[in-house]
Amino acid sequence: MESRKPALYTVPLESGSSVPHLKGGRCSCGYVFFPMQTFGCERCGATGSSLQAQLLEGRGCLVSSARVLMHAADNRKPPFAVATVKLDSGPVLRTLFADYTEESLRVGTRVQACLVEVARSDSGDPIGELRFTPSPEDTNKA
Amino acid sequence: MTKTLKDLRPVYVVGVGWHRYQPLSETSYVTLALKAIRDALADAGIPWPEIESAYVAKALLPMAPGRPILRHLGASGIELIHVENASASGSAAFRKACIEVASGVTDVALAVGVNKPRGAGPNPRAERMTGIDSIADDAIAPFTHFALLGDQYAQRWGVPHEDIARVGVKNHANGARNPNAQRQQARTLEEILGGRPVAGKLTTLQCTPVGEGAAAVIVMSEDAIRRLGVGSDKPVRVTGSAARSQRVYDAMLTAETTQIVLKEAGLRPDQIDVVELHDAFTVEELEYVEAMGLCAPGQAVHLLKDGAWDIGGKCAVSPSGGLIAMGHPIGPTGIGQIGEITLQLRGAAGERQQPGARIGLAHMVGIGAVCYVHTLQRD
Repeated sequence: MESRKPALYTVPLESGSSVPHLKGGRCSCGYVFFPMQTFGCERCGATGSSLQAQLLEGRGCLVSSARVLMHAADNRKPPFAVATVKLDSGPVLRTLFADYTEESLRVGTRVQACLVEVARSDSGDPIGELRFTPSPEDTNKA
Repeated sequence: MTKTLKDLRPVYVVGVGWHRYQPLSETSYVTLALKAIRDALADAGIPWPEIESAYVAKALLPMAPGRPILRHLGASGIELIHVENASASGSAAFRKACIEVASGVTDVALAVGVNKPRGAGPNPRAERMTGIDSIADDAIAPFTHFALLGDQYAQRWGVPHEDIARVGVKNHANGARNPNAQRQQARTLEEILGGRPVAGKLTTLQCTPVGEGAAAVIVMSEDAIRRLGVGSDKPVRVTGSAARSQRVYDAMLTAETTQIVLKEAGLRPDQIDVVELHDAFTVEELEYVEAMGLCAPGQAVHLLKDGAWDIGGKCAVSPSGGLIAMGHPIGPTGIGQIGEITLQLRGAAGERQQPGARIGLAHMVGIGAVCYVHTLQRD
């Protein structure tokens, strides 16, 4: 599978973790951020070699979630579900859920990244969009 | 040493005016703004040439709408500046007008906000043009952001979403008593919950309608009040002004900014009689009254159900109807809040009057990253 946004996330790495990784960065001040950027650190303002690319494992905890039933832009058709996720490495990001469900998820639920096929490339390969889904190991799912 | 507004010479709101907030219409934005400005001038009892500088708050209108508006008041040669700060455009314009008068550079300044929405579809934002992509920000409209916060708030405090929706019952009831409100119809909890679902547990009647409209306020020094013979029933003093951005977000940003302004004005949260805040979505009002220190964290719903935030309660919150019922034309909204607080502190808010109101607070956030808070007091 190919990554729909290769600048933002990988397909699952062959070695190590089975989940996609997010292409974040780390500043020499210790601040970990996503996505990678070189404009300047959002905490201390440092630039240049202070900002280094860092792969962040797509695992974290659910901060909140919501099912979207109305959406003005025509790029996505509701209903779909979105979530705020705090990665274990620190950054908080907003993402789509892999599956639409009417069920509310408990805040704090363990979640992990996955790729959902949304299109096919010219060569017929599946193109995957990054979404999150409850982790199989989480025992506290609502 | 820097100074706060309170260290400078006193500045007063002396005139307020609106064009009713309403859905997008054929009415020219010039008509909207002139109505608000002329009403504010009449309220202050001064002619246009006494205005020494004009801050024009805009949001979705194209570049520089001020000239085609102000030219119809008669060319007086004054400074004209446009302010764009997303939802906080009007609040930013008001703050700058106050600081200018308080500093002594001018004696009389106008802050006017006007807006026309763009019609269907999301509004373009510079944040989407940075070259930094996002995973799914295209999927998260403002109401979805607040649906996410609503989920977090409800789970954190064990509050049913039906109770969060009660903010809408209160604010629609207040809007029904405000001739300048876009929505002037009282709604039952059942009507609000039964409306069209938007995201999470939010329904359309729990979300602000973004329409068109205008609001204007005139601020003045004591010298000018005496010189121009402004009636003693008009002036309301601006005792604090604070603005912060993006070190912290959402309720924490409101808490930080409110603490600064209350310290500056020498006030405690429990002294505030009337509040206008950024209730674009029902859950926001609960989060912000807690963040402001009007009640303990997690207690806003209990107090809402007890009537503490009603007109006549411990502190009237969003007596204008707030963004949910008064509406949110974006450019004017922060200025309209100042107008409502001014009427309340004058005791001139009619059937929306909070009894004995002496201290008011206006709060606005914009782009989720800037926050403005002002305190006003009747001498």
